[in-house]
Amino acid sequence: MRIQVRRTGGFAGIERHAEVDTSGRPDAQEWHALAESALASGRGTPPIGVPDGFSYQITVDDRTVYCADPRLTDEQRKLISRVLKEGA
Amino acid sequence: MTTNGGFEPVFCTVVPPHVLDKLARNDDPALSGPARRTLMRDSELRGRRRVTTEFALAAAPTAKAPSDQPLRSIYDAEHGTALPGTKVRGEGEDPGQDATVNRAYAGLGATFDLFLKAYARHSIDGDGLPLDATVHYDENYNNAFWNGEQMVFGDGDGEIFLDFTIPIDVIGHELSHGVTQYTANLTYYGQPGALNESMSDVFGALIKQYTLGQTAAEADWLIGAGLLAPSVTGKALRSMKEPGTAYDDDVLGKDPQPATMDDYVRTGRDNGGVHINSGIPNHAFYLAATALGGHAWEKAGQIWYDVLTGGELSDRAMFTDFAKLTVKAARERFGDGGEELQAVSKAWEQVGVRIL
Repeated sequence: MRIQVRRTGGFAGIERHAEVDTSGRPDAQEWHALAESALASGRGTPPIGVPDGFSYQITVDDRTVYCADPRLTDEQRKLISRVLKEGA
Repeated sequence: MTTNGGFEPVFCTVVPPHVLDKLARNDDPALSGPARRTLMRDSELRGRRRVTTEFALAAAPTAKAPSDQPLRSIYDAEHGTALPGTKVRGEGEDPGQDATVNRAYAGLGATFDLFLKAYARHSIDGDGLPLDATVHYDENYNNAFWNGEQMVFGDGDGEIFLDFTIPIDVIGHELSHGVTQYTANLTYYGQPGALNESMSDVFGALIKQYTLGQTAAEADWLIGAGLLAPSVTGKALRSMKEPGTAYDDDVLGKDPQPATMDDYVRTGRDNGGVHINSGIPNHAFYLAATALGGHAWEKAGQIWYDVLTGGELSDRAMFTDFAKLTVKAARERFGDGGEELQAVSKAWEQVGVRIL
């Protein structure tokens, strides 16, 4: 499973992108569960977020959803921060 | 419930007024925020004061008329994401040990001061709205935002960004989003979104200049000076004087802001480039303010404020709509053939925005 996160907007307007390929990872199951919950609560089109809030695009294999601060689910927040931190 | 901040016109138009009224009083800001904004917008057609007053009173039962003193509350999210968090300092309370809390409190006060003393505006809604801010939001959070109800500040990760309460113009920027929301309510996408961003940079910069007593010539015209960690190559996040030159760093990349319409960036990202193309109206303000000299909030700031709050600026305004209104406002406030009219007209011409 390939999980990509693109973060745009924010006060600085600086974009960040990272991805994690879970194949062969010992914690792959955990990633899959997190990715599925994040997808389930995402939107099909980008929401217009709050002023200066981050906007996120989450792509899991060929499925893409959108969400924006501060209204993220716990799973979305966790997935986003893990991918941006651990991903390449 | 929506998963965004609630800035959806669709939500606004299909809900009957009595339902909105009930939603507006809901404890969950995700429900009450959009409903209040809708009521506010609707009521603008009939004269907005009644609804504004009603909600200001609901939030602060002790306030009868707008006070000349701010009503500030600072909350600590304790590195979580629940808003507003634990209240750590209220109006009139002594400073504590936490410098972040103290900076936020002082920044809210400075913003309140500029709007009151320069433009006779009582708080962000013009009717004494209490000012709330949450600090220490999330962990290593590299951002600050306005959620429609309050300001939220992250601590930064210490590697790229430091604490977002450090620059007073950042605090002023976030509060000014509130002023825009209660006035022209510029849609946060594309050119109206870039104008919304530019309003916040303009008044954020003016709050800093007002606090420091600087003239247009003395000001640095930077947004977010002091926010970048020492290892980052850059002086700030944006430059109104020279858009595109604020930073150029291995990790952050280069400041993408254009200064003129020749370099306007077409993009779907960042809500259609709201933090990118804001460089153009930002630079126009800088040019007008420096041409006029003296304290920028007195002339150029007054003209911009007149347009933002005057009722003629559409929530879908494009750069050229805004520019034309500033020319009109310069003429109305300072007279035909004055240096103000000339400076404003020339500024837009220099950045390539049509005013005819």
